[in-house]
Amino acid sequence: MEFISLLQYSAPVALAAIGEIVVQQSGVIDIGLEGSMLVGSYFGMLTCLATHNPWLGLGAAILAALLLTLLFGVFTVLLAADQVVVGTAVNLFAMGLTSALFRSKFGGTMQLISIPRLGAYHGIDLIMVGMLVSVPAVWYLMRRTAWGLAVRSCGEYPKSAEAAGFSVYKLRLQALAIGGLFAGLSGAYLSLVIAGSFAENMTAGRGFVAIAMVTFGRWKPHFAFLAALLVGFADSLQYRFQTYGWHVPFQLMIAMPYIVALAVLVLVGKGTAAPGALAQPYRMDK
Amino acid sequence: MKRLVGISLYPIGLLLILVATLAFFKVPVRDGLGLLYSGAVGDRFAWSRMAVKSTPMLLTGLGMVVAWRGGIYNIGGEGQFIVGGIFGGTVARFAVFTSHPWSPWLATSGILVACVAGGAAWAWLAGWLYLRRGVEVVISTILLNFIALQFLGYCCSGPLQEKAKQVPLTDALPDEVMLPKLSRQMDAHFGVVLAIMAALLIYTYLFRTRAGFRVRLVGENPRMARANRIDAGRAKIQAMVVSGALCGLAGGIEYLGMSGQLGTGFSQQWGFLGIPVALLGGLHPLACILSASVFGALLAGAENLARYTPTGSTLVYVIQAVAVLGYVGIKAYRDRLPAVEA
Amino acid sequence: MATLIVDNVFKRFGGVAALEAVSVEFRSGEIHAVLGENGAGKSTLMNVMSGFVRPDRGTVLLNGTSIPLGIAFACKQMGIEMIHQHFTLTPAFSVEENLALARLDRLATTIDTKALAGKALAIAKSLEWEVDPSARTGQLPVGVQQRIEILKALSGEAEVLIFDEPTAVLSPSEVEDLFRVLRRLRDEGKCLILIAHKLSEVLGVADWVTVLRNGRVVATAPRDEVDSDKLAFWMVGQMPDRASRSDSKERVDGLTVRSLSIKGDRGEASVSNATFEIRQGEILGFGGVDGNGQVELAETLAQIRKHSSGAVLWCGRPFGSDLPRIGYVPQDRQTDGLALRMSIRDNMLVSALHRPSFWSGPLIRAKQVGAWVDSLIDRFSIKAESGSDLTGKLSGGNQQKVIVSRILDDEPGLLVVLNPGRGLDIKATEYVYDVLLAARDRGAAIALFSTDLDELYSLSDRVLFMLRGQLVDATGASAMLGG
Repeated sequence: MEFISLLQYSAPVALAAIGEIVVQQSGVIDIGLEGSMLVGSYFGMLTCLATHNPWLGLGAAILAALLLTLLFGVFTVLLAADQVVVGTAVNLFAMGLTSALFRSKFGGTMQLISIPRLGAYHGIDLIMVGMLVSVPAVWYLMRRTAWGLAVRSCGEYPKSAEAAGFSVYKLRLQALAIGGLFAGLSGAYLSLVIAGSFAENMTAGRGFVAIAMVTFGRWKPHFAFLAALLVGFADSLQYRFQTYGWHVPFQLMIAMPYIVALAVLVLVGKGTAAPGALAQPYRMDK
Repeated sequence: MKRLVGISLYPIGLLLILVATLAFFKVPVRDGLGLLYSGAVGDRFAWSRMAVKSTPMLLTGLGMVVAWRGGIYNIGGEGQFIVGGIFGGTVARFAVFTSHPWSPWLATSGILVACVAGGAAWAWLAGWLYLRRGVEVVISTILLNFIALQFLGYCCSGPLQEKAKQVPLTDALPDEVMLPKLSRQMDAHFGVVLAIMAALLIYTYLFRTRAGFRVRLVGENPRMARANRIDAGRAKIQAMVVSGALCGLAGGIEYLGMSGQLGTGFSQQWGFLGIPVALLGGLHPLACILSASVFGALLAGAENLARYTPTGSTLVYVIQAVAVLGYVGIKAYRDRLPAVEA
Repeated sequence: MATLIVDNVFKRFGGVAALEAVSVEFRSGEIHAVLGENGAGKSTLMNVMSGFVRPDRGTVLLNGTSIPLGIAFACKQMGIEMIHQHFTLTPAFSVEENLALARLDRLATTIDTKALAGKALAIAKSLEWEVDPSARTGQLPVGVQQRIEILKALSGEAEVLIFDEPTAVLSPSEVEDLFRVLRRLRDEGKCLILIAHKLSEVLGVADWVTVLRNGRVVATAPRDEVDSDKLAFWMVGQMPDRASRSDSKERVDGLTVRSLSIKGDRGEASVSNATFEIRQGEILGFGGVDGNGQVELAETLAQIRKHSSGAVLWCGRPFGSDLPRIGYVPQDRQTDGLALRMSIRDNMLVSALHRPSFWSGPLIRAKQVGAWVDSLIDRFSIKAESGSDLTGKLSGGNQQKVIVSRILDDEPGLLVVLNPGRGLDIKATEYVYDVLLAARDRGAAIALFSTDLDELYSLSDRVLFMLRGQLVDATGASAMLGG
């Protein structure tokens, strides 16, 4: 049971990280991940509230996150704008939009919103199962399919993908679509499974954590998943220590994964795991 | 002339975005604009609110200008802001909350200097990791933001916590240590002046000094810098340190000017809000005064919209984000057109 | 059996004609070399044939069918493959993955990279090439990477193979092996097109030779009917008389280079054991085909790149912090020479960071700098409205003038210049040459690197050639071209 609650706790970061792996392997770093998750959370909650159907909520969450991620893609892939700049703007947009909509819809009454949650069996819900399946599935997708090979070549050396007759733009947008799907799942998990509600800036930096965990996990789904569990575990320790009455500064526990991630980067240096063309806009010469 | 037309497009575009956003959130546009106006610049209290809101954004925005001009994507303004605050809070511990407090003037300057040093050190770390170990600044600054935030949380409930040990906050600074107010009834404090001075200083640094020239050159074309025997690594580290110092200063001014104490909510996204300020200011320090003022005015004015919508400052984020996307989109679209080769 | 016919092709870039009325026929079972100096139109021609550049006029026919001009991938599918100098291999992939990538025909399928790479690996075997399919491509020597690039093309049943300067990156034994494979592919009936520079290599392997000059076909002839003198004449025209000037002038000690060895960016030996001297008031020309260590040597002389062994001395002493003052005119002005989004003023200021009269403490003296920039614009007749114009908006000639003016005004003792006239029109070229000669007469020691023989001989007092990182004396240009 303990492990399941850990899984539940870690799922938002893990899901987002798994999607981000696909995106980064195509050569794009989705700094706007946080924002995509947030709109997923909000619109998932909103739809669920309106229809009383968490499944429709899940669908809306995925759709919203997908749209925002593709907006990021239009700017960064098609227009070759800087990924950091656009990502930051997308995050700001999502935070502003969801908070403003939330306030203008519910702010006056300040009621506590409660929505039907996704069904679960002994704490195991379908998204969690999907997450567990997605770890090997994404590995398989990237390593054993033609699409994965082509996408990875986009991330490493886009010219080679183009020489093989593939459109770098298309492949990167497709990768972003998968990232958007996972961002939606992640956002929905927060509002529809864990909280059964929504709060302003609900993602609270989990998108950034996911990006960090992709690096920490050396762009491998299983490592990133374990890294996300580690974050969840460190996070959950604070409550445990409180119950035991231990006085370990829990903030340091929470910070530990980031410190470890940074330390790994320092030791490995630039490393060979990072996609060679990560964060470099690609322009076809014509 | 062409340039003038180009520049005048910005306010028009911004106004359009503003109107569209108001309409989207079902605020009557005419009333909304009027309320925004009066809330931002309607009377001297409004001006004061606007100035106070613009100040941290201007400083973090300047920080982004320097780093990005030097070709480094520092998105760690948030962390540098926070670490600045922590350094300041630490000095305050020894300078103010002790049996032998320093003279207020000395304490204030000491805290401010510590904040600047803290921000600079945090940014230097990211710069050093990039140069010596090849860790991408985008990733390292994201990580450092989190570490800083947790560190702040730890400090506020640990070594720097208030005396009663009840809430996760530091002791509130006494009024005499706070930055002097420009007028008794208003919020506007001396930090506003400091921020504008910083903008002038950074303008001088970037466009009037050798060091700033090197930073710009390295950012524009590192290969050309190399061909002219300019040490790109040194220039980048310097840009990063100056950038962090500005973000730390922003933290210090927020601490000494407004909050007076530190808590986990110390930075209201000021580090991130610097990014739109810098971009829409065209990465020019003086233009950033304008862009920071515009967004500060919107933030101040948005509080006035409460009658129509409870959205408050969140509306401003939307406007900022759309403005950045519009700006970046138009720029990127233009860049896609083939350059004219004679 | 494939025949590729280029029919009356025209292509202009900006105002410059890259190809004019070019018609050539390439047949299967033949190795057909296309020769020409830099800028003669070779690259444009092969880019047209492989679909990377769309010509303004004219057609290209493969077995009587016109190829989809300007659509590289469609050309590839018709069986025209180009082996670029810059490979299209993913460095982080294994050899197998790279070979498989080239063989994907649809994306929505699972793959077995081993099976997909199988054909290419079988071809490798038949060509007696040892290829480790699990090796990381980026870590392989360039020669092996080229083999993988060729295997990629062959496994796609290419009928026409276009090689872009394939020997430029190879060692002599690798060149031998490549030629062995080329001959073999010819015997199997492939149509092979070789873009080349070095006459000896062309004469060693080609069946037919086409020479381009200034975008036009000078001649097409079977191998048996040409020799290196004839080809050299077709390529460069009449060899200019060797310049002999200022010999009378007394020369002062300048740059001395002893047994200098330099490593390239990938750690490869790019210059080995170079020894030479350039006196003050002398221009030493370095000729040779691009990529033979010129850039590395130039950067080392300009103190941008470190050398691995040997000595670089000025007047018998190691370089000091201010002596000699070095001026460096890089090969690629837009990437190394200028910051295109900065003003003329800022681009000139780069060379004046050390001049005390322009600075008071850390601060710039804007007035003095402004006057200086205006005077340079005036003296070098740079066409610009003011010093605040962006250099990116200037024409190529004026861009070069910005670089040359800022450097020469600094009165460098040592001047390192790469291809100063490349891409400039006649007037601008003349101007830059005059300025260089004036600097020489003023007493500068000048190292002039150029792939253009005319330029080399009209400016240099002495000429050396670079071949695979070695300096060679040249008794005549044709010897070099043949070397």
